[in-house]
Amino acid sequence: MNGSLYGAEPVAVLLAAVRGGRRPPADPQRRYFGYFCSYWPEELLLAAGLEPLRLLPPETAGTPACLPAFCCLPARACLAAAEAGELDALAGVGFAHSCDTVQCLTGIWPHRTRLFFVPPATPLAPGAEVYLRGELHRLWRQLAAAAGVQPEEEALRRAVALMNGVRLLAGRLDEMRPGLPSPLTAALLRAGQLMPRADYAAALEAALPLLADAADEPGGRRRLVLSGSLLESDGLYMMFEELGARVVADDTCTGYRHFAVTVDEGVEPLAGLAARCAARPPCPCRHPGPDRRADYLLDLAGRRGAQGVVLALRKYCDPHAWDAVAVGERLRRSGLPVLVLEMEAAAPGGQERTRLQAFLESL
Amino acid sequence: MKVADEPRYLPLRSSRHLGRTMQKYYLLMRYQHLWGRPLKRPLAWVTSGAPVEILRALGIDVFYPENYGALCGARRAAVELCRAAEAAGYSQDLCSYARAGIGAVLRPDLAPAGGMPRPDLLVMCNNICGTVLKWYEALAGLFNVPLFTIDTPFIAADVEEHAVDYVRTQLRRLIDDLERFTGRRLRPAELERRVALSNQAVGLWCEIRDFCRHRPSPLNAPDLFVHMAPIVVLRGTAGAVGYYRRLRDEVATRVRAGLAAVPGEKHRLLWDNIAIWYRLYRFFRLFSERGACFVTDTYTGGWAAALAPGDPLESLARTYTTIFLNRPVEFRVRQMVELIRAYAVDGFVMHANRSCKPYSLVQEEIRRRVMNETGVPGLLVEADMADARVWAEEPVHNRVQAFLENLELRG
Repeated sequence: MNGSLYGAEPVAVLLAAVRGGRRPPADPQRRYFGYFCSYWPEELLLAAGLEPLRLLPPETAGTPACLPAFCCLPARACLAAAEAGELDALAGVGFAHSCDTVQCLTGIWPHRTRLFFVPPATPLAPGAEVYLRGELHRLWRQLAAAAGVQPEEEALRRAVALMNGVRLLAGRLDEMRPGLPSPLTAALLRAGQLMPRADYAAALEAALPLLADAADEPGGRRRLVLSGSLLESDGLYMMFEELGARVVADDTCTGYRHFAVTVDEGVEPLAGLAARCAARPPCPCRHPGPDRRADYLLDLAGRRGAQGVVLALRKYCDPHAWDAVAVGERLRRSGLPVLVLEMEAAAPGGQERTRLQAFLESL
Repeated sequence: MKVADEPRYLPLRSSRHLGRTMQKYYLLMRYQHLWGRPLKRPLAWVTSGAPVEILRALGIDVFYPENYGALCGARRAAVELCRAAEAAGYSQDLCSYARAGIGAVLRPDLAPAGGMPRPDLLVMCNNICGTVLKWYEALAGLFNVPLFTIDTPFIAADVEEHAVDYVRTQLRRLIDDLERFTGRRLRPAELERRVALSNQAVGLWCEIRDFCRHRPSPLNAPDLFVHMAPIVVLRGTAGAVGYYRRLRDEVATRVRAGLAAVPGEKHRLLWDNIAIWYRLYRFFRLFSERGACFVTDTYTGGWAAALAPGDPLESLARTYTTIFLNRPVEFRVRQMVELIRAYAVDGFVMHANRSCKPYSLVQEEIRRRVMNETGVPGLLVEADMADARVWAEEPVHNRVQAFLENLELRG
């Protein structure tokens, strides 16, 4: 890969955001609102005049007194950062219910403004869509009140259009992924969860032609699907590249799954957001039905010509740990090799490297 | 029972009746396929927070894998069963009831009480945790039987009507689905009868728990843990009502006679979280030996919530959505503070249970708030409800001793 690509202005802007993006930037023009889980409806924040900032664990994880050791590192590290005052500049924090840990985190989080959004665990259940619209209405009212603005549909429509633009751009980047270094694509997608969204859209739009020029075939690299929970750093992606592999499809919570599916702009905005929520690729915290996630991954692997799947688990992440068994079995039965890689931090260690190396050699 | 496991406090006469009741239940379940099939009674595995009144009203028998998990823990069979599940790929960090349950399916030769009866269907309600949905999905795959789910959204602050409506809609669908499955129509009068039976048992359970406000307390927490089994597995039956009537009468007699569960009761304590089943009596004996009695707890209180009168579906939706594990920290703090005041509690012990994240991850915060509000000291002890591999004897003993010495110094 040409080193000048990383220095080219739009790409450099995006990568700089990832490096510094764990804390709310010191920007008097903007009010940042932190959130957990990609199910959090960013559009509502934008429509209330707030900038969404996805909360990712800092590289040096602290240990909060409030949480026991049998809790995942992302929750522990984010809470430690909040307790240390590193997130004080946030206007508030939003939690989308994903798992028991996030459910607990909301009760012990130190910010005064904490908002909770509970999407249905079974998005195709009878009444789920009506419930979800009610939940979005409640959240929209609470957010607007917290931001001191009137909830206006026009502002929401503009936010939906902006986020749809971001998602389409991210989709174009994702299509180029097989020809780009995995850590670069991962970082560029992560920037879209940390930067002001309009700035991100502008920078990514400017960067895409450069990326298209730089993209080439992955050559002899092993083509992998990576699926898992959030990955706040590039460590795992770098290891793939070092060992001669390429992530040709990224189904992690911080990867393309965050951006997949746009909102229908032809319907009432909250109804559109609810429909998107139900239509997103299945994650282990939602239960659209048996085999849906395995079917999705099989289809993804087929479309991208993947030779294997890596299921990346964070220690103490129950939903992904449960799914790894059933999904792994189903994929293997379908002839797709699977490696389940459990990690405490996002940066893998020597053991993970050895296991991945052996897996790649077996492909 | 080994000598070391015997309770060091006044045993209940009803314990024998409990043994017979549970033995009968497990025998009936074990052979349910023999007597249930001719009667066209399917067998459902259900989570502990599932609305079983609907199932019972439709002639479906119910089996509780969580109760079986507790049994595996108490009989020290859970570790081997957990290992069997881990060998099949399930992480050691997952819930030990779930691992023991899956292990019992994979290795019935290791499973106590003859293992679990094969289910015809599964009914899951996620009001207690997110684990049950994943666990029951896994079971649906293992048994290739239908899974019916009730999604009860977490109540982060106030109870939202759209959440109750959502649950009610799902309950209606559940009834339709189960009617199709059983080929029977739900009779509203039968559902009301089942709800009434649940409420009668809950009322008796509340009376029994309330007797512990007396000084000395007629019961210690292990009594509540052991005697809660029928209110779980026989919920919505006349058997549960009969059982708790008898237990209520015995406890009332104790109160009238001034009999203490822990002779010379000096300290009155509250317990938070599921029991440490494999050390039930040995652990609580550390306290009872020094005159400390657990007069109340948060866990068995989970079965003390009555179903509201009126439309049964509305009542079921509201009650099953608002159980304490589906409520925020503020609710749990209020609940503990009220228990501490109502039962004149001197201290509380929290079991940081590695298997139960929704119960355990907020405990340190609750401990701080409750101590601030009541001035009553609290101790946090890390263990697991069924997997004895994480039990650390000496550190736990040291912490308990220091806590009790502190209580004694406070008088």
